[in-house]
Amino acid sequence: MTAITQRAPIRRRDPRRPAWQERPKAATQGTKSGAIVVILLIILFPLYSIVLTSFSNQAAVNLAGGMVVWPQGLTISAYKLIAQGGVVGRALIVSLVITAVGTAISMAVTILASYGLSRAGSFGHKTILWFMMLTMFFSGGIIPLFLVVSALGGFNQYWALILPSAVSVFNIIVMRAFFMNIASDMIESARIDGAGDWRILWRIVLPTSKAVTAVIALFYAVTYWNSWFNILLFMPADSSKWPLQMVLYTYITQGNPLPGSGTSTIGGFVGNQQIAPLSIQMAVVTLTVVPILIVYPFVQKHFTKGVLLGAIKG
Amino acid sequence: MTSAPHLSRRGFLTAAAGTASAVAAAPLLSACGTGAAITAGSTSANTLAKILPTYTPFAGGIKPDYPSIDGSEPGYLSYPTTLVHTVSETPGSGSTYNAIAPDWGAIPRTSGNTYYNALNAALGANMQWQPTNGTTIQTTLPTLFAGNQLPDWIEVPTFAQPPGFGQAVQTKLADLTPYLSGDKIKEYPNLAAIFSNGWQQAIWNNKIAGIPTVVSGFATGVFLYYRQDILDSLGIGTPSVNSLADLYDLGKEVNDPKAKRWAFDDIWQFMCFPYGTNFTPPQYIWTTDSKGNLITTFETEEIIEAMNWEASLFKAGMVNPEAVAGNTGTAKQRFWSGQNVITADGGGAWDAADVTSGTASNKGYVRNAFNFFTADGTGTPHVALSPPTEYVSYLNANLKPAQIKELLRIANYLAAPFGSYEFTLVNYGAKNVDYTVTSDGPVLTATGNKDVDAVVPILLASPNNVISNPGFPEVTRVSAQFVQRNAKYQFKPLFYGMNITVPNDLTTADQFAPFTGSGGINYIMYEVVRGRSTIADYQSTVNEWLRSGGTKLKAFMETVRAKYGDA
Amino acid sequence: MATRELVRTGKVLTSRGGSPGKSKLAVGWARLRRDKSLILMTVPAGILLLVFGYTPMLGLIMAFQDYDLYDGILHSPWAGFSNFQQLFTDPGFWHALTNTLMLFSIQLVLSFPIPIALAIMLDSILSRRVRSFIQSVVTIPHFFSMVMVISIFDQVLGGSGLLDTFLRSHGVANPPDLMTNQGLFKFLQAGEIIWKESGWNMIVYLAALAAISPSLYEAAAVDGASWRQRTWRITLPGLRPIMVLLLILNLGWALTFGFEQMLIQTPAVGTGAADVITTFAYRNGIVQGNYSYGAAAGLFLGVTSVILIVAANKVAHLLGEDGLYRSRQ
Repeated sequence: MTAITQRAPIRRRDPRRPAWQERPKAATQGTKSGAIVVILLIILFPLYSIVLTSFSNQAAVNLAGGMVVWPQGLTISAYKLIAQGGVVGRALIVSLVITAVGTAISMAVTILASYGLSRAGSFGHKTILWFMMLTMFFSGGIIPLFLVVSALGGFNQYWALILPSAVSVFNIIVMRAFFMNIASDMIESARIDGAGDWRILWRIVLPTSKAVTAVIALFYAVTYWNSWFNILLFMPADSSKWPLQMVLYTYITQGNPLPGSGTSTIGGFVGNQQIAPLSIQMAVVTLTVVPILIVYPFVQKHFTKGVLLGAIKG
Repeated sequence: MTSAPHLSRRGFLTAAAGTASAVAAAPLLSACGTGAAITAGSTSANTLAKILPTYTPFAGGIKPDYPSIDGSEPGYLSYPTTLVHTVSETPGSGSTYNAIAPDWGAIPRTSGNTYYNALNAALGANMQWQPTNGTTIQTTLPTLFAGNQLPDWIEVPTFAQPPGFGQAVQTKLADLTPYLSGDKIKEYPNLAAIFSNGWQQAIWNNKIAGIPTVVSGFATGVFLYYRQDILDSLGIGTPSVNSLADLYDLGKEVNDPKAKRWAFDDIWQFMCFPYGTNFTPPQYIWTTDSKGNLITTFETEEIIEAMNWEASLFKAGMVNPEAVAGNTGTAKQRFWSGQNVITADGGGAWDAADVTSGTASNKGYVRNAFNFFTADGTGTPHVALSPPTEYVSYLNANLKPAQIKELLRIANYLAAPFGSYEFTLVNYGAKNVDYTVTSDGPVLTATGNKDVDAVVPILLASPNNVISNPGFPEVTRVSAQFVQRNAKYQFKPLFYGMNITVPNDLTTADQFAPFTGSGGINYIMYEVVRGRSTIADYQSTVNEWLRSGGTKLKAFMETVRAKYGDA
Repeated sequence: MATRELVRTGKVLTSRGGSPGKSKLAVGWARLRRDKSLILMTVPAGILLLVFGYTPMLGLIMAFQDYDLYDGILHSPWAGFSNFQQLFTDPGFWHALTNTLMLFSIQLVLSFPIPIALAIMLDSILSRRVRSFIQSVVTIPHFFSMVMVISIFDQVLGGSGLLDTFLRSHGVANPPDLMTNQGLFKFLQAGEIIWKESGWNMIVYLAALAAISPSLYEAAAVDGASWRQRTWRITLPGLRPIMVLLLILNLGWALTFGFEQMLIQTPAVGTGAADVITTFAYRNGIVQGNYSYGAAAGLFLGVTSVILIVAANKVAHLLGEDGLYRSRQ
C-alpha cells in the first residue's frame, strides 16, 4: 500500500503573468485591491447618484432634497423630454461630423508639426517652437478672436467650430516628445540611405507611434465633442446648426421661469412641469458622458501594454 | 448652472484674460471708434412728456376677477372662452426677418415647427425666431454688438446690458421716436396699451429706442415667501410678522437642522424693503441725506442695520448651508423640498409650475408670502418699485422705414392683450394642433409641448403682465389678492424708469466696485452677512469706491437730477 | 517590427565635411536645405496659429492704453505702463498672486504623483478586462464639467450633504461644512483636481509605460532585481522624460490655473481663500468694465508664465533631462 504523502498543493501560476515576474506577496495584493476598491467607489458612487437622479421623478428629488441616493420613484421622462425635442437627433449628427472632421484635420496638422519639430538641431527649430508656445500664454481675448473669425466670414459657419481651435500646442509638444524618443539611429540610417523626411515620418515614425497617436487623437476628439464655448461665440442663435453640447446645455435651465418677469405667468411656455429640473440636468450630464464611455474602451487598447511598442532598439 | 464658460484645461489656457474679456466686453462695441457725437445724460421731463407714447388702455377687455388696485397686476381665474380679435389685417408683407431673444430652456426644432408655421402665417411674414441661451447672454450679446452681427430685432434685458450700452443704442439701434411718440402710437393700438412707465424704460437720450415687453404695473421685484403648509403642520398657522424681530422669532421656531429644515435661505435681496429703501445696483441705489444731497443707499445707516440683522441669522445657524455657500441655483429646489421654510424670490415664482413641482412630493404644498412690514414694526411700509420691466427689444439701425413699420405692426400683433385671439395664438400656437381647449383653458398637446416656445416672441413684444394660471385658480386667488393688498406701499425710487447714459470715465464707478481692490461693494456685503468681513471692511470699501470715481459719479448724478429731474 | 523600405535617391547627406573655414552662412543654408521638409511640415500649424492665435493677440494693446469705450482700440489714449503701475500697487493683486502660487503648489505636490502611481498600479494588473474597466472608470470624472465636480463635492461634503446629514443624525450638533471652510480650502481644491483629473492624466503615463521594453524587465528579473528595484531602476527612469515635460508645462500654467474652479467657489469661501490672479483680473478688469486693467493683468500673466517655463526648463537640464527643448538646437 502506498502512503499518500501530503504535499503542499502546488500553487498554480497565472498564465498571464510574464515569466520573469515573481508572484506578489499577499499583503501587496491586498493593499492593491483595497486601493482599487476605494478608488472605484469614490468615482462610481457620485456617478451612480447622477444616473439615479436622472431617472427620478420630482417626488423622489424633493424627498432627497437634491441628488437622489435611494431609488424611490423611477421614470424615464427626463430622457423622453430630451429625445422628443426633435433637435437632439440632428445635433447629434452635427457633433459626430464636427468631431470626426475636426480630429482628422487636427491630427494631420499636429503630426506634421510634431515631427517637424522633433529632429534635434534642425534649422529654426527653437524659433518655431517658441512661436507656437507663445500662443499658449498670450491671448488677446475672446472678442478679438471673434472679430478675426467674423472678418473671415466665419460667423454662423461650421468651420468656425473647427479651425480656430484646430491646433493644440500642448498636444504638439507631447507628441513631439514621443517622436524625439524614437530611435535616432534608425532614422539617421534611413536618412543616410537617402530617405526624405516625409518618407521617414510615414514609414518609420508613425507605425511605431500608435500609442501616442491614439492618445492625442483621443484628446482632440474629446475636445471637439465637448466644445461648447466656440458655439456660444460663433453661432449663438442659429440653433439649426447647433451641435449636441449646446442643445443639451439648454436643457439645464429647463423649467426655470423667466428671470425678472414680474408676478405673472405667461401661459404655455414653462415646459413640462412634471419633470424635475434636477432630473433633466442629470440626464444631460449622463448623456454627455455615455458616448465617450462607449468609445473609450476601443481607444484604450492602443495605449496599454502588450501592443506595439515605441522605440525598439535592436 | 454656471454662466462662466466651460474651459478645457488644455484648450483655452489663457482663458483667464480671454474669457474675462468676453463677458461684458463692451470695449469693442465701437472697436474702431465712430466719431459720432455720443451724449451722456438722460431724458428731461419735458422731452419725456413730448415723446412718451400716449397711453390708451384697451377698451372692451375681459373683466378681471381681481382688478388692479394701485397698479397691481389684475388676476384672472379662468381663461376666456370667446376670443376677441384685436388686429384686423395681417401685419406683415411677406418679408424675412431674424429676431434674437434669450430663452431659458429647451429649444424647439426650426424646420417643420407647427407653432412657428402657424405664427408666421398669421403674421404674414417669414420670421426667423432665434433663441439664444439665457444663462450666457452676458457673453453672447457683447460679441454680437462688437462684431456688428446684430439681427433685425434683438432683445436686450436690462440685466445683460453691457456697460456703455447707452452709446451702442445711439449708433447701432433704430430710433423709433418718429413712429411711436405721442399720438403716433395710436396706429399700433396694442402697443399703446402698454403702461407708460414701461415706455419710459425704452427711452434713451430723448429718443424712443425700443419696445418694452412683459411690463408690470406692480413691479416690486422680491417677495418674502414661506411654506404655509409647514407652518400649519407645526401648529403656527398664518404667521403674524410685523417686524424683523417677529421674523427672527418665527425663524427660531421653525429652524430644525436635524430634520434637514432650515428657517431661511439667503434673503438679502429682500432686506431693503423693511427699511423702506432700495439697494438694487446699478440704478436704484440713490437717495438723499438729511440735507437733501444725493447719496447712494450704500452710505446710509439703514444698510448697515440690514447687514447686521441678516448676519444675526447666519450666526444663529438659521440659514441653509447651501445658501451660505452661495448656491442660489438650487434655492427653489430647497423650498420645494422643505429644506428652507422662508425664502426671498421674484414674483414669477408664484405660479402653476411652482405648485406642480412643490406638490410632487408633498401634496399639501402651499406657497404664501408675508405682507410687507417695517423693520421695527412702526409706521407704514415703503416698498421701492423695481424697474417697470427688465426686457426691452430693439430694432436694427440698418432697417429702412418701411421695414421698421412692418416690424412695428408685427409687434402690435404680438402685444395683443390677455385672452384675445392673437394672444392665444402667440402663447399656445395652432388650435387643435398645438393645444386643445379644455374647461381650464388652453392646454398644450404633445406636439405643442415640443414645438411651442413662446418666450422669444413674448420677449420681443407682449402686453402688460397679468396673473393667470389656468387650472390652478387657487394660486391666482392668493397671489392676486396679495398684490392687491400690498400695492399701496409702493413708491418710486429716485431715477425710476430713467435710462441714464454715464460718461466713459465713470462707467467703472457705475458698476459699484472700487477701481482697485477685490470684489466691490456688492461682494463685501455678501461677505459681511456671512461674518467673513466686518462692517469696518465694508465702510473702507465704500470709501475706496468714493475715492476712485464714486464721488465724481455722485456729482454727475446731481447734474442729471438738476437737469432731468429724478423721475 | 517596422518595415524598412528605403529608396536610393542618390542624395547623400553629410552634416560635416566640406572644406574647413566654410562660412557660417553656407552651413546655415545647407541646414535649411536639409531641413526644408521639416520646416514645411510645421507650416499648416503655423498658419492656423498665426491667424487664430497671433492676430487676436493684438487686442493686448489695450494693456498700454487708457482704454476708452467710445474711442475703441484705434483711438484710445496711450497710457504707457500706468496700468501696470496700478496693478502692482494694488494689495489685492499681490494677495491674489501669492494665493495663486500657494494653491497651485499644494495642488501640484498632492496631485502630481497620483496619475503616475495609478499608471504603474494599473500596469501591474494581469486581467485585461479588469484593467480596462478600471481605466475607463477613473477617466470618467474628467468629462464632468468643473461645475459638476464642485456640485458633487458639495453633495457629499457640504453643509447639507451626505456626510453632515449623517453626522447630524448621529448626535453631532454642528458638523463642519467642509465646502465653506476657508482654512481647509487649499486642500479641498487639490482634492477636486485629484478626483477630476488623475484618471485622465494617467493616460499619458500609460502610453509612456507602453514604450518601455519588457526585455529590460526580464533582464533585471533574471539578474535578481525585486519588484521595488525594477520600479525604481527601470519604470521611473523610463517615465522621467515625460514626467519632467509635464512638470515644466504645468509650471508654465501655474499662474493661469484655476479660473473656473475658483470663480465658482468664491461665494462659498470668500476671496481671501479662493482668489487667484485670473479671477482677480476677471473681477477687477472686466466685470467692472476696466478693460485696460484686465489686459494688463493678462499680459503680466503671459510674460511670467514664459519666464517660469524657461527657468523650469533650465532646471531640467541641470538634472540631466532634455526638458521641453535643448538650448543648443
